[in-house]
Amino acid sequence: MLSYFISYLIMASTYGIAALALNLQWGFTGLMNFGIGAFYFVGAYTSALLTTSASPDYVGGFGLPFIVGLLGAVVLSGLLAYVLAFPALRLRGGFFAISMLAISETIRLIVKNEKWLTNGVWGIRGIPQPLRNLVGADLSEWIYLGIAAALLFIFYRLSEVGVRSPWGRMLNAVREDEKMAEMSGKDSWNVKMQSFVFGSMIMGVSGALYAHYIGFISPSSFTPLMSTFIVWLMILLGGTGSNKGVILGAFVVWGVWIGSEFLIGVLPSGITSKAGFVRMLLMGILLDAILLIRPQGLFGREKVISKLGSKE
Amino acid sequence: MADLFVNGIILGSIITLGAIGVTLIADILNFFNFAHGDMLSFGAYLALFFVGAMPSWGNFPGLSFGPQMILAIVFSMVIMSGFALFFDKVLFKPLRERGSSELFLALSSLGVAFILRSIIRLVWGPQAQYYGGLQMANRYPLGITIKPDEFFIVGTALFLVITVYLFLKRTKIGKAMRAASDNETLARVTGINTESVVNWTWIIAVSLTAASGILYGIQVQIRPIMGWNILIPIFVAVVVAGVGDVWGAMVGAMIIGVAQEMLTGVLQNLFNALNLDVLMTAYKPAIAFVLMVIVLLFRPQGIFGTGE
Repeated sequence: MLSYFISYLIMASTYGIAALALNLQWGFTGLMNFGIGAFYFVGAYTSALLTTSASPDYVGGFGLPFIVGLLGAVVLSGLLAYVLAFPALRLRGGFFAISMLAISETIRLIVKNEKWLTNGVWGIRGIPQPLRNLVGADLSEWIYLGIAAALLFIFYRLSEVGVRSPWGRMLNAVREDEKMAEMSGKDSWNVKMQSFVFGSMIMGVSGALYAHYIGFISPSSFTPLMSTFIVWLMILLGGTGSNKGVILGAFVVWGVWIGSEFLIGVLPSGITSKAGFVRMLLMGILLDAILLIRPQGLFGREKVISKLGSKE
Repeated sequence: MADLFVNGIILGSIITLGAIGVTLIADILNFFNFAHGDMLSFGAYLALFFVGAMPSWGNFPGLSFGPQMILAIVFSMVIMSGFALFFDKVLFKPLRERGSSELFLALSSLGVAFILRSIIRLVWGPQAQYYGGLQMANRYPLGITIKPDEFFIVGTALFLVITVYLFLKRTKIGKAMRAASDNETLARVTGINTESVVNWTWIIAVSLTAASGILYGIQVQIRPIMGWNILIPIFVAVVVAGVGDVWGAMVGAMIIGVAQEMLTGVLQNLFNALNLDVLMTAYKPAIAFVLMVIVLLFRPQGIFGTGE
């Protein structure tokens, strides 16, 4: 039971990190990223290839330490975002969303088909959890929880400081009215680029954390449902534009997801085989219900960004 | 090469029907419908149900199905229209009236996409299914091979496109729809019933999409993920052509269909010649996307778009 709870906390923290990243892109900058899966794939596979021991089936592994894998995930996700930004960020609103969706599907195709690089549909096994060999499985889970929670906290603090800084006000300005921001002399292209690249780097970290926790990744690890859609659900439930809110959203949505697994155990066996689809149905309904009933989410956007401004 | 071109036209016909729906919704309801692909799959599965439920009257000469398929297409279109109007009533209309942005509407359509797909999997299961038997292709000059069913696919698509075109051009509601797409405020001021414009937009868009799914199912197979997979080519066709025009959507779809098939072949030959081990057929959907990027880099408003 306790191990179940630890597992829940680790996964919720991992998703919480992705939720913070999406909040930066969508909540603060208005970039509708429907391709979170792309950065999950790149982050997870980069870190996996860097840290697993050498295999004849794919490039590497290089047997490097966890921290190198994590940094590699950050660098490559950021690089991918930077390159993609040149065509994608030129597009507005829904067009951007479409191109991100197409990008993530393209990345999935590459992961699936380039066997020399990723071992194709067989995926990558034995992705090491830091210190597991030294301290054993039980303690290693606790350590991993510590790492995930620490990263979540670091990214939370960074986001908070970021959005409350002049830079954060620039993001808001670009989201609310891009032309106005440009007229005030802000380089909206650069602002969007920075937000997109930073956010994607953080998504890469989330993907890498997933890979090292589960220990196995394959092209079906990050389906549109389990990468993009669920993170959107988290930030909408928690409250777009509130960093605290989206973390809460991640813990609640992941709790609902895990909790529904318990329910399935109670159901008659005929339905059990279809239970995954019932969960997917519930997630879809939940998303639309939030949009209809409480579009601001549990927390809602914080109107006041600057602490000084609130004193009047 | 000629065979690939013909394949492209067949794929293009299927994409066309989806793309007209997406372009009408994007133009008149002002959002990209991410549920379009799953509506397409749902239409295909409804037809599967009807074909199974109806007695067999034998097959059309040469084709792998009979008159029950025509009825199934019509039934599927009607029921899907009902679904679309239902979703509009409970979801899109309240959001619209609240003045939600296009991105909110697109997001809510993503929710609908997952709802429809999970219902499909719950009711029909995840495995691939077929309407009828497999069919042998006939050989034609220039190495072209065509299955008799594929004439039906292109013919039906063409028939539906012309019907929709005439509907928009000749009927009162069609003219109202075009007016609303040109200038919504002006249309409302001049007394056009925007509510029925919205409803007819859904009916036409979703009927075409249901038909598209059924034709796709006849051509390949019926799978829960089929619509999601063809959604990107459909979107790309719309974006490449520029939002809002039925003929544009058709031309865009044909460009995407033909380019996907032919570029796959050409690039495969190139990679083979260079001794590179790349399986191009696996990257067909990516070709559509790369094309979109290239077009948008040079013409952000699309080939036919006016860039208003």
